[in-house]
Amino acid sequence: MASRQKHIRNFCIVAHIDHGKSTLADRLIEKTGTVSSRDMSEQLLDSMELEKERGITIKLTPTRMFYTKDGVEYTLNLIDTPGHVDFTYEVSRSLAACEGAILIVDASQGVEAQTLANAYLAIDNNLEILPVINKIDLPSANIEKAKAEIEDVIGVPADLAPCISAKDGINIEQVLDQIIENVPCPNGDENAPLKALIFDSYYDNFKGAVCFVRIFDGSCKIGDKILMMQTGKTYEVTEVGVFTPNMKPCNILQAGDVGYICASIKNLLDTKVGDTITNAITPTAERLAGYKEVQPVVFSGIFLVDGSKYGDLKDALEKLKLNDASLTFSPEVSKALGFGFRCGFLGLLHMDIITERLEREFNLDIITTAPSVSYNVYKTNGDCLEVSNPSVLPPVAEIDRMEEPMVKLSVFTPPEYVGAIMELCQDKRGVYKDLQYLDKQRVRLEYVIPLGEIIYDFFDSLKSRTKGYASLDYEIIGFEKSDLVKLDILLNGEPCDALSLITHREKAYARGRGIAEKLKKVIPRQMFEVPIQACIGGKIIARETISALRKDVLAKCYGGDITRKRKLLEKQKEGKKRMRKIGSIELPSEAFMSILKTNDDEE
Amino acid sequence: MNNNNFGIYIHIPFCMSKCAYCSFVSKRANEAEIKEYFKHLNRQIKQESNKFKNRHITSIYFGGGTPSFVDSRYIVEVMEHLNNFYNLANDCEITIECNPCSITEQKLNDYKKSGINRISFGVQSLSDECLQIIGRKHNAKQAILAVELAKKCGFENISADLLIGIPNQTSSMLLRDVKMLVGAGVKHISAYMLMLEEGTRLYEAVCINKSISIANDDECVNMYNCAYTLLKKEGYNRYEISNFARAGYECKHNINYWQSGEYVGFGLSAYSFYDNKRIDGFNKFDDYYSFVTQGIPAESFECLNKKQQIEETLMLGLRLQKGISLKSLLNLGYDILSEKQEVISLYIKNQIIQIEDGYLKVADNMFGATNQIILNLLP
Repeated sequence: MASRQKHIRNFCIVAHIDHGKSTLADRLIEKTGTVSSRDMSEQLLDSMELEKERGITIKLTPTRMFYTKDGVEYTLNLIDTPGHVDFTYEVSRSLAACEGAILIVDASQGVEAQTLANAYLAIDNNLEILPVINKIDLPSANIEKAKAEIEDVIGVPADLAPCISAKDGINIEQVLDQIIENVPCPNGDENAPLKALIFDSYYDNFKGAVCFVRIFDGSCKIGDKILMMQTGKTYEVTEVGVFTPNMKPCNILQAGDVGYICASIKNLLDTKVGDTITNAITPTAERLAGYKEVQPVVFSGIFLVDGSKYGDLKDALEKLKLNDASLTFSPEVSKALGFGFRCGFLGLLHMDIITERLEREFNLDIITTAPSVSYNVYKTNGDCLEVSNPSVLPPVAEIDRMEEPMVKLSVFTPPEYVGAIMELCQDKRGVYKDLQYLDKQRVRLEYVIPLGEIIYDFFDSLKSRTKGYASLDYEIIGFEKSDLVKLDILLNGEPCDALSLITHREKAYARGRGIAEKLKKVIPRQMFEVPIQACIGGKIIARETISALRKDVLAKCYGGDITRKRKLLEKQKEGKKRMRKIGSIELPSEAFMSILKTNDDEE
Repeated sequence: MNNNNFGIYIHIPFCMSKCAYCSFVSKRANEAEIKEYFKHLNRQIKQESNKFKNRHITSIYFGGGTPSFVDSRYIVEVMEHLNNFYNLANDCEITIECNPCSITEQKLNDYKKSGINRISFGVQSLSDECLQIIGRKHNAKQAILAVELAKKCGFENISADLLIGIPNQTSSMLLRDVKMLVGAGVKHISAYMLMLEEGTRLYEAVCINKSISIANDDECVNMYNCAYTLLKKEGYNRYEISNFARAGYECKHNINYWQSGEYVGFGLSAYSFYDNKRIDGFNKFDDYYSFVTQGIPAESFECLNKKQQIEETLMLGLRLQKGISLKSLLNLGYDILSEKQEVISLYIKNQIIQIEDGYLKVADNMFGATNQIILNLLP
């Protein structure tokens, strides 16, 4: 093994949301002098405005640091990872690019669902785990308990774990020392054919799609012909470089290095996360394991308040897609909402991020329909369809059976909430699998539960029933046959396609009633009486009525102040523009999302 | 401009006390402050008269505040200025708003002599409990006596304001009030729905402290409909959403507002509209005074473009029973019948609006939805 690799350490940080991952990353960068403190802005690696605001990391930004220990200079490559369940696959590929993982545990909160999920991912990737106890500055910190939980729950020794405060910069050197002492150095063959893992990619307007890579074997330099082993496409390398954390070109990337490769790649879809890059002339025989096509699991229609801006929405989605290959979209036409797109997301957070970016970065006023999962529909004629849009579900007579996606759900909670959580899971059609006491204060519950139930107000219900103490993680485990029906909402006797949804037959009645009640609250009174009906296959299961508008008169014009009145009228007129017309009924755009928020506490 | 009428509005910003629902500019004042105000008011009336030399003044309206609160000699002096410097029509309607408890026989006689020919009493309710809740200082008995006194002093054109939706008010209370006012011989009744304006005591009590609850929209509309039916039976025509009158006693001054007619306002917080300009009033005494004496600060005004003129025509005109003249809209370049064809035919089919003799009007039983109708008919 070449001695240069002895001085390289590739590591990542894994943690539950809010346990201080980005803050620790910032401190490491600061301590190693990678970025002058003048240029330090809070949470440097979270580059998107949205990430800073939400305090969560969505997109990974790697960084190279130099640290001298005992007179020897080491290169430390930090690969930051997203902490949310929506992005588990990305996390797993980032982990695969490393030899070690810092596992942060909040001293006051202990091990949480995603601590465990991410720690297991790291163990699965054969990483050396370095536990770190963070937030020791908090009055509620309980270092011994946190250490005990790491040992008992995760099964990793924690007696030597550095106890730090990333916020106050306490004991950060201990972390750096342990990285050098305990994370194994890379062990690649520099003379073998190139074998590089794409752990992330993004689209640059000038360079094209840029691959973030970890070189396992061989080397890569400008002019090399490279082959993407998954897509089979070949390119000529135009630039290689490292992260400082800004992208800095260099002459060559060699085994053990973390860096980037540009090769005039036009489409981000050709740089699939998890794919292996090799040399096109002398390819490696075997590609790196673990490649998986990322599939969206949550779908929703995105429409515009102002339908004439359809082109803008298309442009915006295309731009977002350049940097987010996991986003999918295809045109959709709704009778109620006009032209829009059916979009696929990795999960609810991902959906939230995309819709927020559309509004914020592209200034679009959008309407999203209730999220849905993708169902397998087996027709009587033997065809099988994947249906994620209720309005394209075939007629009942043509359906032989339907299947819905199931997840394995694990919930971490203090024991006093177990009853409430079990009740919630049962209500959400969950099947109990396991209950484990991790310690006196912590229980892990496992359920198999339909994904469709998770995306419908599960997080909020869980948080409210456990005062925010429970955390959860899930993974999709497959499809199961299910008795599903399409629930339609009729306004003034007319079905409103954008309000339809697919639900389990047993749930349909309660949801139909909940939605009708909710709509009655959000739809303003109209000139006519408007009946709201929920129905399944033509059978009405719930009805509410919005009585006709009776009092909507501007007050008298006092002392001739008519300008004020006209301005009020103009404001109301603007408000009306945000309304959607369904037949002769005006619907506020909130109506379409509000049906999501009918939670079972109200039912 | 839809007619040849021209109105003058005079604002008297003084009150004995502030009512719980009032958000208008008014204050309690001492004699010196009142004197100071009228000095400026008369100066403004005189100095602006040049602009209106060629106008035929068809209505004058003293509003407030409480015009009857100040000594009647101030009102008389204003009337003298108006008579001296303006060209008042022979049948000029001259109204003064009066509070039943601040009116006296002497004041009424002075008003009469000065040329005032219409009294508008802020009765609001004839239930003492309701009056107390909204912070009015008079009681029911005083209100009826005030009407009698005005008649005695020779006033025939008497109006009374009623409020609908006062906490604890019921339909039968409102009907009793209407009957008593009809019996007392008022020729005109304005029935307004109580609006909660931010910053008022009532708003605070209802919306913030929740110490008082008010009738909901449906209850208000039911009360209004009861009053409407009774008034109709008694021979009072609803010529505007909130205004009922015996034939010939419609308020000219207000009709002028609703027909987008011209008017000039004098005094604090008095608005003007002439030469297609809407001019804002001043809300602070100091600003108003330095405007009158030095012309600083300048008035803020807005010249109406075609679209705004159309908006106002619809907003104001559809409040009238008669509706709006389609011709006046056409003159503004708005062919509403073809541009809003779909809405209009839907509305006609559902008897929400009617078109009669070249006027588009809101159907009698749809008055409560006037605002939505206007919004849907805007260009």
